[in-house]
Amino acid sequence: MKLTAPLERVLRVFLADSSARRYGYDLMKAARLPSGTLYPMLARLEEQGLVTSEWEPPPVDASGRPPRKYYQLTGEGIRVARLELAQAARTAAAPRAVHGTAQPAPGSAQ
Amino acid sequence: MTEIARTPRAQRVAEHLIRRACRRLPGEAGAERYREWAAELPAILADGDVGSRLRRSARTLTYAAGISRCTRRLGRPGGRPRPRADLPAPSGFPARRVVVGVVIYVAVVALFGGIAAAFPGRAVVVVPFLPAAACFAAFCLIDLARAGQVRYLPKWGWAIACLAQIPLGGIMYLAIGKAPMARPEPPASS
Repeated sequence: MKLTAPLERVLRVFLADSSARRYGYDLMKAARLPSGTLYPMLARLEEQGLVTSEWEPPPVDASGRPPRKYYQLTGEGIRVARLELAQAARTAAAPRAVHGTAQPAPGSAQ
Repeated sequence: MTEIARTPRAQRVAEHLIRRACRRLPGEAGAERYREWAAELPAILADGDVGSRLRRSARTLTYAAGISRCTRRLGRPGGRPRPRADLPAPSGFPARRVVVGVVIYVAVVALFGGIAAAFPGRAVVVVPFLPAAACFAAFCLIDLARAGQVRYLPKWGWAIACLAQIPLGGIMYLAIGKAPMARPEPPASS
């Protein structure tokens, strides 16, 4: 998985409350992404098993609103998202460090 | 404020755009995607965080336009541009599209004629429309460059037509020269 800036934003939004189910427009607003970016990303994440989606039960308040599709991170998704974001944070802290050797060797001068 | 009983216009336009976009997806997936995306529209139109109704409408249409880009990406596995599928031989001349093209052309000419007539002797009023004409020609050329295949004329022929006859060449290219949207085949059974 290549962590692009939009993907990072989506993962942050999901992780802010990993138990929350969110629908597309809700995610668009929270991650400030256009629909043309968000949905292909969600489709990819779902394909990889990191996100699940389900239809809400038809609303009972007879408002006539059609049921929405909600997205949520899977357990695996939460794990991968945390890992990726942590890695991104490390890389951001040490931008010049070669990937995988971001941690300074013990005892070395900073 | 009066209660709006009927569906807002922006929603209907957006639904139409989304329906068209979903036709690019294979059968059942397209239908399900349509249901998902159409169900989001009321949330956008009722979004309290967006000030005016006009801006909510604009956002609804932007959403639908994004969906259109989205299905173009979803339609091809791997997200890479896919050459258009080989076209079937055009069956008959698309008379309806020619008529539509001519009607649009006449409308454009009438518009310019009307503007010119309203300001006699001042051809300079047409100047503000030149950027629009340039944009349209550029749009047609870019579309042409990205198209895998075109009909009736070779690509260079359409390019000349688009440039020499603004806007008629471009309109005719869009109306009849452009290949119909490739319909994605359902994935081969594995």
